Parts: sequence; C-alpha cells; structure tokens
Amino acid sequence: MSNWIDVAAEADLFEGAGIAVAPEGQDIALFSVEGEVFAINNLCSHGNAKLCDGFVEGHHVECPFHQAQFSLRDGSVACGPATEPAKTWPVKIEGGRVLLQLD
Amino acid sequence: MREQPIHWETEGTSRVPFAVYTDEDRHKKELERFFYKSHWSYVGLEAEIPNPGDFKRTVVGERSVIMTRATDGQIHVVENVCAHRGMQFCRERHGNKKEFVCPYHQWSYTLKGDLQGVPFRRGVRQDGKVNGGMPADFDPKDHGLTALKVATRGGVVFASFDHSVESLEDFMGPTILRYFDRLFNGRKLVVLGYNRQCIPGNWKLMQENIKDPYHPGLLHTWFVTFGLWRADNKSELRMDAHHRHAAMISTRGSAGQATGQASQVTQVSSFKESMQLNDPSFLDIVPEAWWQMDDKMPTAVMMTLFPSVIFQQQVNSVSTRHIQPDGHGAFDFVWTHFGFEDDTHEMHERRLRQANLFGPAGFVSADDGEVIEFSQQAFETKPEHRMLVELGGRDVGETDHMVTETLIRGMYEYWRKVMEA
Repeated sequence: MSNWIDVAAEADLFEGAGIAVAPEGQDIALFSVEGEVFAINNLCSHGNAKLCDGFVEGHHVECPFHQAQFSLRDGSVACGPATEPAKTWPVKIEGGRVLLQLD
Repeated sequence: MREQPIHWETEGTSRVPFAVYTDEDRHKKELERFFYKSHWSYVGLEAEIPNPGDFKRTVVGERSVIMTRATDGQIHVVENVCAHRGMQFCRERHGNKKEFVCPYHQWSYTLKGDLQGVPFRRGVRQDGKVNGGMPADFDPKDHGLTALKVATRGGVVFASFDHSVESLEDFMGPTILRYFDRLFNGRKLVVLGYNRQCIPGNWKLMQENIKDPYHPGLLHTWFVTFGLWRADNKSELRMDAHHRHAAMISTRGSAGQATGQASQVTQVSSFKESMQLNDPSFLDIVPEAWWQMDDKMPTAVMMTLFPSVIFQQQVNSVSTRHIQPDGHGAFDFVWTHFGFEDDTHEMHERRLRQANLFGPAGFVSADDGEVIEFSQQAFETKPEHRMLVELGGRDVGETDHMVTETLIRGMYEYWRKVMEA
C-alpha cells in the first residue's frame, strides 16, 4: 500500500534542526541532513522529551533531555540512556512537498 | 542551643555524663566522626536487592543513600542527593528501576550513580540561535552521584563515605568477625519482613542496650517468666581491640536438649511459676547446627557493630537492627528479620513466630524502646548530671559472666578517644 501523506513544504526544513509535524494525530519529527529528509517519532523512547528540539550530529539526533542518540535512518539507539529504538517512516519529496508513508 | 561542657567525673568511663546524649552540636560531631569517617555502616542485605535494577533506600548516619544492583549484578551504594540542586530524588523505600531520574529537572543517573543525561545541556534553539545550556567544559563524568565505598560479606552489605576506611574485616577485628561469620556463614539469606519504629532517645542508647547484659533478666520479665534468660546462663562478653564492637554470648543450660516441648523449655525457675503461654509454640526452640562454635552451642549471640547495627541471634530468631539517628534525641530503628534459603518450612514458620518477641511491639523488645525514651527524658532535664555504669568494676575487659557493664564502659572509652581527639 502507499498511503503517502503531505506533511510539510521542503522549504520549511533546514539543516541541523528538526521540525514537528502531526499527520493523522501522530507526533513526528522531520530532519534534513545533506539534502535528505528523515522522519522519526518525535517522542524520545526514554524520557518525555521532543526529539525535534534535539541536536543533529551526522545522521543522529541527540535527545535534548538525556543525550540519548538515535539514528535518523532507522531509529536505532546509538547512545544510551535510551534502550528502545524510535520509530521511523519512509519519506519522499515531490514538487517541493515532503510526503510520509504512514502505515 | 549552647553546647554543654562535658565533665567526666572520674578517670575512666564508669560515670557517663548525661551531656553525651543532649547536645545537637556534639551529635553532629558524632555523625562526622563515627558515621561519615573511618567507619563502616550497615546498609542492608544482598537478599533485599536480588535482581539487576533492584534498589533499597536507606541511610548512613543521617544521610540518605540508595543501595542498588546494577545491570552487571554489582552492588553500589550512592548518596540520594542530586548532583544538580541537591534534592533527595529517590522517595520509594524499595523498587526496581533502569535508572534514577530526579523529578526536579530530570537529571538522570545510571544504577551506578553515573550522570547520563542533563536536559537542555546543549541549550534550546530559538529563532535560529541556541540559548543557554551548560558550559562547554561541563563533563557529566564529574557530576555523578556520590558513590560510597561498598563491602559485602556473607550477604551483608556495608558502605562508607570514607574511601580510605580500613577493610571491613579489619574494622570488625578477628574476635567479632568469628561471630559474624558464624551467623552469616555463606548460606543465602531470605528476608522474612521488617519492623520499623522511631525511638525518642539518643542513638547510642540502643548500642548500650545491647551492650548491657544486666537488664534482660530484670526489665524483660517475659524472658524470665518463660525461661529464655537467666543471670546464671553460661555467658561470655567479647570485644574488638578498640572496645567499640561487642558480642554478648549466652548458652541456656538445656539448649542442646530442647526438643520443642513447652515443658522442657520452661523448666527453669521463674518468678511467676503459674504463668503459662496460651500458645507455647512461641518457645518451640530447635537447636541448629550453625550455632556450634568450638565446643559451645550458644543459644543467643547479640553483636553490636559500632556505630550502626546490631546482629541478633536469639534462639531461632535472627535479625539485623539498623540504628538510624535523627537528631540527638531520636533514632529510627529498622529490624530486618531473615532466615536462610535452606530452612525447612517448619524452621521458616518458627523464625516468624519467634520474631514476635522483637520489634516495636515485641514481647521483649517493646520494653527497650520505652526505657530508652524515659532515659532521654531525664537526660534533657539535667545534662550536667551523669549515670553510673560500675557493675562489675570500673575498668574495661572481656568477661565470662553477664554481671557487668564492661561493654558500655568499653564503648565510651572508644567514644572519648575519637571525640576528644
């Protein structure tokens, strides 16, 4: 199935920081890294923090609360204290719009 | 409050000034010298935190600490004071956690006490710039929880704020260590339950109570009435070289032969012959192999480990009693009744039944809480006065009888050495 949903304009994104989007009531953070866009669950799997406020280092986002790091590519934990991975979604850009494939 | 001068009326310690119990500044000095430096304090049993992530909140002196078992199974003791604003972040007495998080600003720590996360450490982005955050040279490694030195032996956990403290074994000394190892001989311990009480008296009075073999046969009429204590029990009083720790060892005449029949355990003379227990099973005493020491089979060994704990064996009832000071005039007294993993069901039930003698409402121990309260009340009214502990002489030494207050004199000999240094 291909349920692609338009969540933002590509121009809304900028390198080094995230933005939060909320398609179908979900809380998702978008990051742009070297021209590529990633979507990851906005709520950290550890504490009650928003990853969109985190700092990006390479292809990882660091949680602003406890400095856990998640891979933007697949949500895996690169650095504790988080132990659970964060959910990620496929992203594509079409006509200057950011589309997510929700399940 | 103005510090009352302490006047020791005589050369030794046979006349203990009331002022050692009544002054808050002196109490703080005691905490510093006995609980926070050069001494080991009891914190708990390994059996209380069997699994990774298990923790128990307790105290060393008046400082709140947490005994934890980390993911690698190691035991750690950390101070319950957040490195950020000093809050006592842990409120639960027991639990299981993956980490500790202070609720105030959500600083988070591993079970070992290492700081793992600081909210907004790198600041908060706003309108394209980053505001605030911790200084660039802030290193979480420098801001963990205060870790105490930990020693375990026979399933018992001790901790010290003083990382240069001597080994636990040297601290106990060979004499006391033998009695410790008799009780905690490597068998896995099982926690049966807790009693907690607040006793409105100075914490040292509890140490003294278990260094005082004069009172049990006189204050505790229950003991005498039902034959568990007699002044002519075969007895020994032993001390470490500093005279700070002690063991009161006694062997009831018929112990080796007791078979659990009420008639046999109550055959000693009592001053109320007519009194009978409705339920004689409280005195269903069965000797255990581990009681044996050399050619003796002690039925009761009461160990005082200065300053923080008492280890009890009264026939089949075994417990630790943790002394937790709360100002000069009160302390919390926490009893941990335990048994051994290899106990039969009958022995498990027996230990639970005999535990009724102890704790805040125990048939025997209720008396001690009261006399300590009433002693403190008198001390407060005339701190310039002193008590008399001259039974058995005025000196300090081990004895083969119970008719002496030598262990109290010994403890104050040590107390003076440390406090007057």
